[in-house]
Amino acid sequence: MADTERILGDITVLELSHDIPGAYCGKLLAGLGARVIKVEPPNGEGDRDMPPFAGDVHHRERSLPFLYLNTAKQSVTLDLALREGQQILRRMVAGADVIVESFAPGILAKWGLDYTTLSSLNPTLVMTSITAFGQDGPYRDYLINEIVAAAIGGLLYTMGLPEREPLKIGGDAVLYNAGGSAFSAVMAAIWQRDVTGSGQFIDISIQEATATSQIHSSIEASWIYSNPGRRSSVLLEAKDGWVAVGVESGVSAETWPRLCDIMDRPELADDPRFATTFARRDHREELKAVVSDWVRMQSKEEVYHLLQGLRSIAGYVATTADLYRSPQLVERDFFQMIDHPVAGPASYPGFPFRVGDQPWMQIRAPLLGEHNEAIYAGVLGYSQQELHRLHEKGVI
Amino acid sequence: MLSRALDGIHILDLTQVAVGPYASFLLSTLGAQVIKVESNQHPDITRGAVEPTGVEQLKQYPGRVPGLRPWNRGALFNQRNRDKLSITLDFSQPAGKEVLKRLAAICDALVENFRAAVMDRQGLGWEVLHAVNPRLVYLKLSSQGNTGPERNYGSMGSTLEQTGGLVSITGYRSGDPLMSNETYPDPVTGIISVGALIAGLRLARRTGKGCLVDFSQREMTVGLLPAAMMDYAFNGRVQGPVGNRDAVAAPQGVYPCAGEDMWIAIAVQSDAQWQALCQVIGNQDWTRDPSLRTGAGRRQRHDQIDAKLAVWTRGFDHYDLMHRLQRRGVPAGAVLKGSELLVDAQLEARGWWEDLAPPEVGKVHRFVTTPWRMSASPFRPSTPAPSLGEHNDTVYLDILGLSRAEYASLQNAGIISTEPRWLRA
Repeated sequence: MADTERILGDITVLELSHDIPGAYCGKLLAGLGARVIKVEPPNGEGDRDMPPFAGDVHHRERSLPFLYLNTAKQSVTLDLALREGQQILRRMVAGADVIVESFAPGILAKWGLDYTTLSSLNPTLVMTSITAFGQDGPYRDYLINEIVAAAIGGLLYTMGLPEREPLKIGGDAVLYNAGGSAFSAVMAAIWQRDVTGSGQFIDISIQEATATSQIHSSIEASWIYSNPGRRSSVLLEAKDGWVAVGVESGVSAETWPRLCDIMDRPELADDPRFATTFARRDHREELKAVVSDWVRMQSKEEVYHLLQGLRSIAGYVATTADLYRSPQLVERDFFQMIDHPVAGPASYPGFPFRVGDQPWMQIRAPLLGEHNEAIYAGVLGYSQQELHRLHEKGVI
Repeated sequence: MLSRALDGIHILDLTQVAVGPYASFLLSTLGAQVIKVESNQHPDITRGAVEPTGVEQLKQYPGRVPGLRPWNRGALFNQRNRDKLSITLDFSQPAGKEVLKRLAAICDALVENFRAAVMDRQGLGWEVLHAVNPRLVYLKLSSQGNTGPERNYGSMGSTLEQTGGLVSITGYRSGDPLMSNETYPDPVTGIISVGALIAGLRLARRTGKGCLVDFSQREMTVGLLPAAMMDYAFNGRVQGPVGNRDAVAAPQGVYPCAGEDMWIAIAVQSDAQWQALCQVIGNQDWTRDPSLRTGAGRRQRHDQIDAKLAVWTRGFDHYDLMHRLQRRGVPAGAVLKGSELLVDAQLEARGWWEDLAPPEVGKVHRFVTTPWRMSASPFRPSTPAPSLGEHNDTVYLDILGLSRAEYASLQNAGIISTEPRWLRA
């Protein structure tokens, strides 16, 4: 497919980000066909140090989060703290449509690279700044990471068990949500620019992106004046892992009796404690005891498929290994084999959605500064001597 | 000049409950006109029972009072359905199907989050509507995607966390896997699906042809744990729960503060931040242990550090401690309860919350807004969530252009009505 046929094939993005949100935003844009140029410090962006590493070897071309987050992007090196680096960036901005950056508020302004300056060079520029708490306000200079965001974004308090400390969601889900928020906002700004010809500034606060994603704490507190707390787990242990059976939620009238037959406990079908959805919710603990005896003897995926067959909204706790062999994900070609000159080949998870027949751009992440020639010489017209000088001076 | 990004875009919204309404609400904040299609027999369950009873059901009404028309007064419905026009339509009937097709013909996009086969079984799936409106962008938010052996499996946010791998890496150290209880895949999907729909709109504008945007919540969820996925792909390692820690920060955790169930999250990500933390602690003896000067050393003694920190943090109000630590450059966040989030100083200063008094509620409540602040597409005060079928006249007569005779006949046949007719439980 020609680049111009891709949904964002006419868009050039400069990505000046460290950590997950900016990189995930850039990954989605690159996936849809945008030319995304990662502008990294000469020693490499901070994401290159994120563990785990391919083969557990800490190396700037082997960070697994980096490899995933930066598929289909280009990389140039540039020291933005130097005047000459700032000048070069301003030249690049003239030919760019979007900037995604995650410097602390005020840093880019110090360098003459803030939206006011850059938009005067390029009024069509869409600039997205992703920061901990936004560009202003009393917490503006505070620091954030995954767990701090979950805490101050109102998400963490209801997670975990009632008798213990709050517990974060595994991995970096909250930071990925901030990146997804930036992606959607950039798409909206591109659409608006398609019509008006003008760019704009997008201010993403990781705290606000998190607060948007808490679905009941604030509304319950506002509406019924009480705070939802942490709840005990409904997961049941199977032979080889964990499941949720789902019969305490709405199921069709035949589901419970049929399950009783399968569990070889037909007498429970008429038990008033379990006869309706509401009854089952009121007798949650007893229900759990009764069903868990059966579940314990089954494999988790058997329980999942069986109960889904009975129209119960069941789930099984899939591990990463389980996901790689899930018939659903495999049949949908969700995984993509991607090779890499240093890390080697592996199967990467794909994207959350598909637009018509358009395939996603799924090529490997760039090596550090891999596109210095192509962009500095090829696009900006620097000679080999000039490139050498810039490199000697530590600008690139 | 557009005053908002999606001005002039008309969206037919068949979504219900959580993930779908999140998406369509966010689209409306960008200026899209969202027409929410509701059913008198099978409403959005967040409208609640017609005559709610019992503690669980009553919880969602202001002060736990259902009021005269409880289906307009529920908390979740009001939060997720601001700025939408509500019409009712029974599209299980042939005449209703024809009306839906006519609505699809005048809209730019349609959004739904039914189980995969539902719209097809109604004779209103992607292929049919594409023939009716060849430029329509059809955003299908489903649990597993539009294809595959499990496409018709039902899900909720909580089961998606499981089948999407998130639960396998969530849990206390050496503990069992746990769900978040926040149905996290729902709001995140809602947020990302805005970009997905716009991608579809851009493709349609360029090619002149609409498209199906096939959004799999399960695949989105798997995309939230790529470090763990790639660790398996490259290193053959199956990651499990690690509690509140991660591979780099030490110490990192959630520590008790003064008061009832009050906590603070602290994350020390560098030696410099560790030094700063020690200073705030007042350089107590235990902090001066030289083995703690490096990250590796602190990771090794993490349990002991946690125990000491927990004793120290207990003496502080969690906000006060957060400010002390942050002013010295140590990442820290008070673990906010819902009531605290509503009055957090940063969110207040940024004007992030929306204060709105839905008319049948009669009192101001505080609602979430958007995860972005766009200079050329600012958030505007919302109209409250609509009552059931509130905009039937506007949409059917003014927007769709039905004749009065046609409209009356549909109402007489029960295809269009404002009466709630769903079963009680």
